[in-house]
Parts: sequence; structure tokens; C-alpha cells
Amino acid sequence: MAYMSMGEAHRRVTEFLNRFSDAISCQDGASFKSLFSLSSNSPFLLSLADALNLIQDAATTRLINQSDNYSQFADILLPLFRSIQTYRQGNLLEAYNAFEKTANAFIQEFRNWESAWALKTLYVIVYDIRVLAEKADRELASNGKSPEKLKGAGSVLMKVFGTLAGKGSKRVGALYVTCQLFKIYFKLGTVHLCRSVIRSIETARIFDFEEFPKRDKVTYMYYTGRLEVFNENFPAADYKLSYALTYCNPQSEANIRMILKHLIPVKLSIGILPKHSLLEKYNLLEYSDIVQALRRGDLRLLRGALQDHEDQFLRSGVYLVLEKLELQVYQRLVKKIYNIQKQKDPSKAHQVKLEVIVKAMKWLEIDMDVDEVECIMAILIYKNLIKGYFAHKSKVVVLSKADPFPKLNGKPVSS
Amino acid sequence: MEGGNRNRGFSFSQTRRRGGDRVSTFGERGTAKCSRGRSSASTSDLNNTQEDAQPSSNFVGTCPYMCPERERIQREKLRDLAVFERLNGNPGKSSPALVVKKFCRTISTKYVQASDMRPITVLEDTLNYLLSLLESKEHSFEVVHDFVFDRTRSIRQDLTMQNIVNNKAVYMYEGMVKFHVVSHYKLWCSISDPNTASVHHLNLEQLTKTLASLLNLYEVNRNSNHVHEKEAEFHSLYVLLHLGSSSQPMGEPLSLWFRRLSTPVLKSKEICFARRILRSFRLGNYKDFFCTAAAQASYLQFCVLMPYINEVRAMALSCINFGGYKLHPYPLLDLSEHLMIKESDLDSFCNYCGLETCTDESGNKLLPTKQTTFNHPKGGFQNYSFLGLQEYER
Repeated sequence: MAYMSMGEAHRRVTEFLNRFSDAISCQDGASFKSLFSLSSNSPFLLSLADALNLIQDAATTRLINQSDNYSQFADILLPLFRSIQTYRQGNLLEAYNAFEKTANAFIQEFRNWESAWALKTLYVIVYDIRVLAEKADRELASNGKSPEKLKGAGSVLMKVFGTLAGKGSKRVGALYVTCQLFKIYFKLGTVHLCRSVIRSIETARIFDFEEFPKRDKVTYMYYTGRLEVFNENFPAADYKLSYALTYCNPQSEANIRMILKHLIPVKLSIGILPKHSLLEKYNLLEYSDIVQALRRGDLRLLRGALQDHEDQFLRSGVYLVLEKLELQVYQRLVKKIYNIQKQKDPSKAHQVKLEVIVKAMKWLEIDMDVDEVECIMAILIYKNLIKGYFAHKSKVVVLSKADPFPKLNGKPVSS
Repeated sequence: MEGGNRNRGFSFSQTRRRGGDRVSTFGERGTAKCSRGRSSASTSDLNNTQEDAQPSSNFVGTCPYMCPERERIQREKLRDLAVFERLNGNPGKSSPALVVKKFCRTISTKYVQASDMRPITVLEDTLNYLLSLLESKEHSFEVVHDFVFDRTRSIRQDLTMQNIVNNKAVYMYEGMVKFHVVSHYKLWCSISDPNTASVHHLNLEQLTKTLASLLNLYEVNRNSNHVHEKEAEFHSLYVLLHLGSSSQPMGEPLSLWFRRLSTPVLKSKEICFARRILRSFRLGNYKDFFCTAAAQASYLQFCVLMPYINEVRAMALSCINFGGYKLHPYPLLDLSEHLMIKESDLDSFCNYCGLETCTDESGNKLLPTKQTTFNHPKGGFQNYSFLGLQEYER
């Protein structure tokens, strides 16, 4: 690091302060937001951090007090400086704690500004507080302490949401803040907290969903779609994730991939299989064996695929949904046996001996006795994946002559 | 001695030595001096200034008894003593060896003195004493449960307020979760009694809270070289609590929760067992459900599973009733083997679900299918045995 003189350090701090007050007096949102963006690691803020390191706290305070233009914003500036400084030093816990104070002070001022000129700055603050909280929690956890800063950031964001839930032009920012809240709750696992913001967005009269920026709508539908997946509400999940896919920027392949990662299990659960070319294009080949298993009725392949990609599926939270596809795989297997029997002797094809299914399982290296096969047939019949009945005494499944294997056709397996 | 949250790797006896004469001997009179007390308020206004709900990390209790002296004296005066706390059955007389600190709902860190807080060694002894009461044959289970329920809640409060999160806390929480799990099962056995139903519900509430805290403590102590043998089993209990139709007792979807598991826990036989049970349950595979449970369930897993087995049995009945060949009524003997229930119990269970059974010429009991009167009973299931796991039933 090049040597910096005390004079230079003072100059940098004063320059920052002037930019700050100028931005406010000219309502220059673009300049203003760059002053808060810690996570961007901009050279401007890094050099400011170096300057702050040289100056004592008391001197910084004096600099702030040298003009009314910025002394009135001391509540924002002092903790902001501390945050910039400690962030640079790698003390992420302190950086977060200070930034939280800045954010709270900023919200107070923001409330007083009539127009939405500082909305993008608010976005930057909301984003950075989340990112800083995540880093602070990582630091806490690595020191054997309980991570609690992300939870705190969530509370601050709820406050921000509250200031935007009003009649003015600021309300279009509410969806962005909602999405940042979703990210926090998903990370913490406390997704039940999403309910209250969702309720506000979807039922409050001040909000018109169509008014919100497209990008935020896509993100919103992505997260609410994922919530539907957790509740195994597949038709709703299909609608929301498909919306996100439709309106997602076609250039952002990473985002498309993320949406597909959650949409594909939903589609599979309602009987719609993706083309292999789609999986290839977006590098989602972890699903290819699963699709194959569904096509072939190959239970071993399904279980193998779940095992091979267990980490990925657990991380994206789709594992339990994929597990349930077993029922459709069983259906396909019985259908194959039926088709083979139809070729040999059409008049007897609709009677499938349970022993034959046991043999098919053995061939797939799956150990299942005739009682368990009967149990599964009973479930398939109950859930309308097979039309017919089973006879316990004769150990046989009798398929109905018409449409014995109803397709799902976009509807989930009945529960 | 530090606040107790840095004692990594110390054996139990070593810590006792450091605790010195604070080892609880209940006959002694306590010296109600305030030692160390609270940390001085931080001067930097940038530090975390959350109050009241947050424990102060340097707060160390000094109460040498299971119950602070002033509480004991006050409760004796008010004759507010539980049966276990009475000396010779006298509702107005007790002794430090019998009284245990009550749970206080409205406690605030501002007004607590060190002499009201029990340090870790006293808490350990208190917990051991409380858990030993569970063996008692003198009193009904409900009475014992009530007492231990309240007094362990107070122990947890003391642990939280002193921010004790080390391995000792882990062992204590394991003991307390175990208590709640066994109560969960025992209370369920008599849940048809309306009073028991609400006790059962409250116990489940504390069970989930205590278990969540325990799992958090494992995380906090991840860096210590200590291996907790029961960690996988307690994680498996968390999974099993998600069986049943009301599947989010903790607010976090199970799908997200799995992400946070460490690899050794994820690959453990206990978690594999729980995941298999969960899968069978969700798919409706009652055969695999009962076989797996009978073959592998530990006692604690059994306690958590039991309230759900009748739901699985009811589902099995509805499937068989729906898809079974009308001219082949299903033999109850075979079905009772699949559902691991006594044949006579299965008979009454069918009736409970609105299904009639019949008998053939040879005296075998059968379940005719395609009955239209089936209905899922609304809860308050009677306790039928689990034939594979009778050694766990009491």
C-alpha cells in the first residue's frame, strides 16, 4: 500500500462527505448509491477505508461536524465509516453491526424524502446488509458462536418493507425488498416467515402486482413457486415457476437453470418429461437418469440416480419430491409387463401375476416379496395410477379392460 | 472459572475440581454472595445492545442448591410445594434436598441475582435427580411428568441465561429430550382421556423446542474434538417428527433442513432409517414401513413413531378396501402380519374405521372389500400393540 499522508487522508474523507451531501441536495440517486455499496469493493471505498485507518475517531467526528451539510447526517455517516473501515480490516462482525446502525438511520431519513429518488440507494443498502450479515454469521460460526446476524438483517428488512408499503411512488420498491427477505428466510430455513410479506404483496390494495419491475416479479414467482414445492402443491408450483421461466431474461442462463432445477421435479410429478436436449442445454444432467427411469419403469435406475446425486438434490431441496416418483415408475413397470403379455396372449394380458412383478424386481436387483408387491399394487390402484383390482388369494392384479394405466396429464398423483 | 462456554474437552471430573466448593452438598447453608455478577455494560455503542432476552455471556450463577434459598422459603410459607418437595408429606415443610427451582415465565435478566442462578454442576445434579424420579413407582406417571416437565424447563432457562453451550449442555439437553420423547409416547397411550390430550400437546411443544436447541448445540460444539454418540439418533428423531399430515412442526420444511446436515450424520444408520421410514410413509408402502420399523427402531425412535402407526394402518385398510377383489375378502390373519398388530386388535380397528369383518366356515376372520362405510378416524386412536417391538412397550 502506497504511503498516504495525514493530509491526503483528511482530503479523502472530506471528498466523501461532499459527495454525500451533494447527492442529497441534488437528489442524485446514482451517485448516492455508490457511497453505500461495501460489497462492490469499489476502489473509491477501499481508498476511503485506508484513509479512515489513519485518522482517529475523534478527528473523523470533527471532519463530519465541520459543515452543516453533513453533520446533520452524523447518525448515518459515523457508523458507515466504521463499517467501511472494519470491512476493509476483515472484521465482518463489526462491519455488520455498524452497517445495521447506518441502515436504521438511513431509513429514518428516507421516510422524510418525498420522492423515490433514493430508492436505488435503498436497494443497495438492503442488498449489502444481507450480504454483510451472511459474512458476519460465517465469522461467528467459525469462532464457535451462534450465528444471529442474518436473522437481525431480516428484522431490518421488515422495517424497510414497512416504509415502502404506502401510497407514494416508493411502493414499487416493495417487491425488491420482499425478494431479499425471501433470500434471507430461505437461507435460514425459516420460510414460514415468508407468509406475512406474501400476504401483504398479494392482498394489500396499495400494491398492483403488474406495476412492479419485471425482474422483481420473476424473482418473486421463483421463490413463491419454490414454497409451493415444499408444500407439494404442484399445480401452483407449476404455474409460478413457469411464469418465472417465461419472463426470465433469456440471456441469464444461470437464472434459467435455477428455475428449471426446481421446475423439472414439479413437471415430473405431474407426468411431463423434459427433452434430453433441454437438460443438456442447461447442464441439468443429474435429471437424465431420473427421466430415463420414468420412461422405462426402472426402479433401480431411479434409486441409483437419487443416490448418485443425493448432495445436489438435497441442497436444492427437491430430493423428497423426486423420491415420490417411485409410484410412477412402478406404474410404468407394470405397464411394460402388460404390454409384453399382450403380445404373447392378448386375451390373458390384463391379468398380471404378482410373482411376475417379483421376478421383474429381482431382475432389477431389488429385493421385494410378494406381500410388498401386493401392497404397492393396492396403493397404485388407490391412487388411480392403475385401474383394476388385486386378488389376494390368487396373488394377481386384474387390470381393467379400458385405460388401465391412466396418464397424469398435468395433474399430480392423487393423495 | 469462565462462564462455562469455553470448557472444551475438559472431563467431567476436572471441571468439578475447578468448580471447587461449589459442588452441591444439599445439607449446607449457601453463602448468598454475588460472585463475578454481570459483565460491565459495554461502552462502545456499536456493540450489540439487545437487552433482556439475550443472555449476558459472563453471568455465572452461585446458587448451590437445586432451588434458590429465598424461593424455597417463600414457597414453604405459601405452601406451594409439589408432592416430591414435601418433607414427610407436609405441604408446608421442605428441605434443600427436595425442592427444585420452578420455571418462571416472566423472568428478566435485569432483576436476576447470581444467587438465584444455579451453576452448571448444580444443574447437572438437579437434572440427574429429576430424571431419577421417573423410575418412581409411588406416583402416577402424569404426576411425575408434570413435575419433571416444569423443573427441567427451569433448568433450560438457567442454562440459557448463563449462555452455557458447551458439551455439558449437550448431555443435559440429550437427557431432557429423551424425557420429552418418552413422555410423548406414554401420554399418547392414554390420549383418549381429554386431560391427557392437552398435556400431550404441551409436551410436544417443549419436545420440539428442546430438540431444536439440542441440534443447535451440536452445531455450536462442532469444532470441539468431542464426538457425540447420540447425535445421529437425535437428528433421526427430528425427521420422524415430520411424519403425519401436519408435517411442519418446526416451521422449516424438511427439504431445507436436510441441507444443513453434516456428512457423518447424513450417512448414519439412524438417519438412513428415518429417511426410509419417511419414504415408505409418504409412498403409502405400509409393508416396508412396518418391516423396517420392527427391524431397526431404537427405543426413542419407537416412542416417536408410535403415534403415527395407526395412521399407516388406516391408510392400508383404505387401500385394501378400495382395490381388493370383491369376491375374495381379505384374511385378517395375513393383514395383521403385514401391519404388525394382533389379529383381535385389527378386528376392532377395522370396526373403528367403519369397516365390518366377517367369519368363514373354518372360523377365520375376513375383511370384505368395497365397503362404502370407511372413514378415517379423527384421532384419539386407541393404543394397539406393535407386534415387532413389544420389548419397548410398557
